[in-house]
Amino acid sequence: MPLTDNQIGALIYRSGLFMDEENFDGFMQLCASDFRYQITAYSPELGKEMIWLNLDREGMEHLLKNIPNHVRLPGSFLRNLNVYLMEPQQANGDVHVTSSLLVIHTDLEGASRLYAAGMYIDDVVLSSGSPQLKSRTVKLATRQLGPGSHVPL
Amino acid sequence: MSRSAHEWTARPRLQDDEFVSSTVYTHPGIFELEQERIKRATWKFACHESELPTRFDFRTVEHAGYPIVLVRTEEGGIRAFINSCSHRAATVVRAPRGNAEQWRCLFHAWTYDTRGRCIAMPRASGYEQAGLCKDGMGLREVKVGIKLGMIFINLNDEGSPFDEYFGDAFEILEDVMGTKELEVFHLHKTVINANWKQWFETNMEIYHEYLHFLNRNIAMSNDEFYERRWKIYPNCHGTLTPMKQRYERVKGLGRRDERTLPGLTPGEFRVVDLFPDTTILCRATVLRIDTSNAISPNQTLVEQRGLGIKGESAEDRLIRINHHNQFWGPFGRNLPEDVVAVEAVEKSNRCGASRYGIMARHDEMKSLDDALMRAFYKEWSEYMGRPASNPLGALPGETNAANR
Ligand SMILES: [Fe+2]
Repeated sequence: MPLTDNQIGALIYRSGLFMDEENFDGFMQLCASDFRYQITAYSPELGKEMIWLNLDREGMEHLLKNIPNHVRLPGSFLRNLNVYLMEPQQANGDVHVTSSLLVIHTDLEGASRLYAAGMYIDDVVLSSGSPQLKSRTVKLATRQLGPGSHVPL
Repeated sequence: MSRSAHEWTARPRLQDDEFVSSTVYTHPGIFELEQERIKRATWKFACHESELPTRFDFRTVEHAGYPIVLVRTEEGGIRAFINSCSHRAATVVRAPRGNAEQWRCLFHAWTYDTRGRCIAMPRASGYEQAGLCKDGMGLREVKVGIKLGMIFINLNDEGSPFDEYFGDAFEILEDVMGTKELEVFHLHKTVINANWKQWFETNMEIYHEYLHFLNRNIAMSNDEFYERRWKIYPNCHGTLTPMKQRYERVKGLGRRDERTLPGLTPGEFRVVDLFPDTTILCRATVLRIDTSNAISPNQTLVEQRGLGIKGESAEDRLIRINHHNQFWGPFGRNLPEDVVAVEAVEKSNRCGASRYGIMARHDEMKSLDDALMRAFYKEWSEYMGRPASNPLGALPGETNAANR
């Protein structure tokens, strides 16, 4: 049975929620065994696409597991997502999903500001009855990221 | 024991070069003077040659508040100019990069060639009465020096010549950067809430490696880490004995035995600091050039580049990019920690909640010695004509405000 739009939307939105809550185990459970994650941004200075993070499933797990060991930007992120397109791929039944992403940072004083704007470009597969993320590319429009972030977007 | 207000405000019982007044980071007058006497008077890393590979390629950058355009000339050299129209000051070249044989100002169409000559002004006859013509209206040229693919500029025509200014400071980079052509694959520019010197200090002292989870594990866990020695060159450039770092000690980092840059052994780390604000760091397989532009006393535009080998396979490049991103870049594990730390320092300094910064570690020039920072502030004091330990004592028209 093909994936329904509702199932796919729920997957994308839940992935954002889990990241906001820093429920990294929950996030990884939404990902396929061959999951790949990338953050990219285009540099007008270099005229090139830059890769700012490129991880397979294992790499992503190591990175998430080590987050508590790092000194990082205090506060929290809130991801605002809007699923724009769900495009079934004829060849393999995957669904190519395009969503807009706004990441809002709230500091410890309670001040919120826009941290990053971009798109999620996801490939979703059906795996034992439920949809999973096969790959996620975060295409950033924002290039000035202040201190940067230990937590993926 | 805690300190009373009197004790806390008092000059530390240290040698003059073992501390700095926090006002070196916060005072607007000091900031302006630094821009004039240091930033606009010394050689500054502008960009890498790979950013403008073809003739008539240009790049625009900013330096000490001035817009600068750099261009690859018809003959293959590099020229630089203040990127401001001789007529009414509009920025002439507005794109970050491109290729053009002429630059036309958007405002009144005065046009310049890549030698900085003004080659056209519409209806030029209107200037005849005033005795003004194209000949005297060229762009202000800026001196250029190139070393190991790195392009430096200097706004001071009378400053020390390029080779004399840097001397042997590049000696441990000759093999790394001079054997194969390198290429920039990463550029992150971002504004941090800290003074430009605080940022540079994170590259001049490694006592702060306690801050970094990765460095504690891959570097500080080796005796070799503590035994390295600082070497300080004339004009206050500095370097530390290279060391091997053990990437395999943090799960997920992998090893750095293969694809090392020319001259580097597996896991080898090298660092070179160039006065006043540029650092080159090598982590076995990948190289970073770090520089900054001061925006205000408490705002700094940091600019970080990652470099690999030009023409390498896509597979090799991706591995290098991954290695770069483990530590550096906005989603690296190390650089965000440095920013969080210096922003915490700035927060105290901002309104005088801290009066002095201590740089009094002595360790026979070994890695945890503050020697390079002391040398930096000695050099700074000479350029500025006032001691970093009490810089306001001598500002014209001001009383000693160190105890404000
Ligand atoms: Fe650091």
